Amino acid sequence: MKRAIPVLVLSIAGLIPLWRYAPSPDTGPASSSAAGAAAPASTPSVSSSGGPTTTVVSGSTIDTEKGPVQVEVTFDGDEIASVRMLQQPNHPQTTAAVPKLIEETLQAQSAGIDTVSGATITSDGYKESLQAAIDARG
Amino acid sequence: MRRVEHVMGFPVSVRIDDEGFPEAPVDGLFAWLREVDARFSPFRPDSEVSRLDRGEVRDPGPELREVLDLCEEYRIATGGAFDVRLPGRGLDPCAVVKGWSVQKGAELLWAAGARRFCLNAGGDVIASGGPWRVGVRHPEHADRLCTVLDLTDRAVATSARYERGDHILDARTGRPATGLISMTVVAPTLTEADTVATAAFALGTEGVEWAAAREHCEVFAVDADRRVLRSPGFPVAGAGAGSVAA
Repeated sequence: MKRAIPVLVLSIAGLIPLWRYAPSPDTGPASSSAAGAAAPASTPSVSSSGGPTTTVVSGSTIDTEKGPVQVEVTFDGDEIASVRMLQQPNHPQTTAAVPKLIEETLQAQSAGIDTVSGATITSDGYKESLQAAIDARG
Repeated sequence: MRRVEHVMGFPVSVRIDDEGFPEAPVDGLFAWLREVDARFSPFRPDSEVSRLDRGEVRDPGPELREVLDLCEEYRIATGGAFDVRLPGRGLDPCAVVKGWSVQKGAELLWAAGARRFCLNAGGDVIASGGPWRVGVRHPEHADRLCTVLDLTDRAVATSARYERGDHILDARTGRPATGLISMTVVAPTLTEADTVATAAFALGTEGVEWAAAREHCEVFAVDADRRVLRSPGFPVAGAGAGSVAA
């Protein structure tokens, strides 16, 4: 249970911006620190049935400008199994702000490009890199 | 104008397309990055970071304070997965310093009048003006790309293990983060793109949705099963769109 608490705070931190979402510019970084201060409120219910321990934790209710938000997180051991909304504001932007991720297969391609983003390349590794070729082409 | 110099152990490539842009602000950019290396490197015993870590400095200066505040913000936001103070290790804010310092460097160029430029710091890219066509390195083939994006007035950063091995740890476990093969984040600034990409990589698979839920952040992730997950707003270059002159 020790590790469930910070994970719950994380879930709330991730969710708060969804309800705060509005065309106002000043929500970003502030939301995480605001959420960090919101402690989980309820006593978690723990049920074990042979496999990994399942823990259900309800977060405290957080007031946002769109209305109150409360989440319930179910853990399988340390993994988040599901997140359920106990309370959520009725606002059309709520659903629009939740990104639905697109799943694709990994492709390998080459194309005319200006520059390359990748994991931090060292000066040693640079010589063999695509970016070095682009820089050399000038 | 193009220039490549090596600072902080990685190559920094600058391309400025503004006609007749002078050399002096580019000299200023590299001078700033060398200053950051001297002051904030945990690998230099006389840096501000090392002296703070040894307790020789009581109060960090305003710029180091800014960096440490960012570190703390992301430590909280990731439930402790991203942490620059790991047990048994010295203070290592490199993950934040890189994006933060290159972003400040780009602002120096902007202040000097540069409008259409592309800055690539060891794989982290700031695009000013645009669109710039930015390839994302394929995690398994160094000479291939896994996607290409059109980037205008935004930044992109990628975290992965293929260049420097298991260097990103999940601070919740102290073990290398292995849930993702590659994590690419597009954000308004490189400060945010770089830190969110590193923090999401530390979080592993749950980091993909965590990053995607952040306002103004777009993600392209490759998980350990080689599946690609991307947010709908990730600016994939349009099919058939011509390359801008490279």
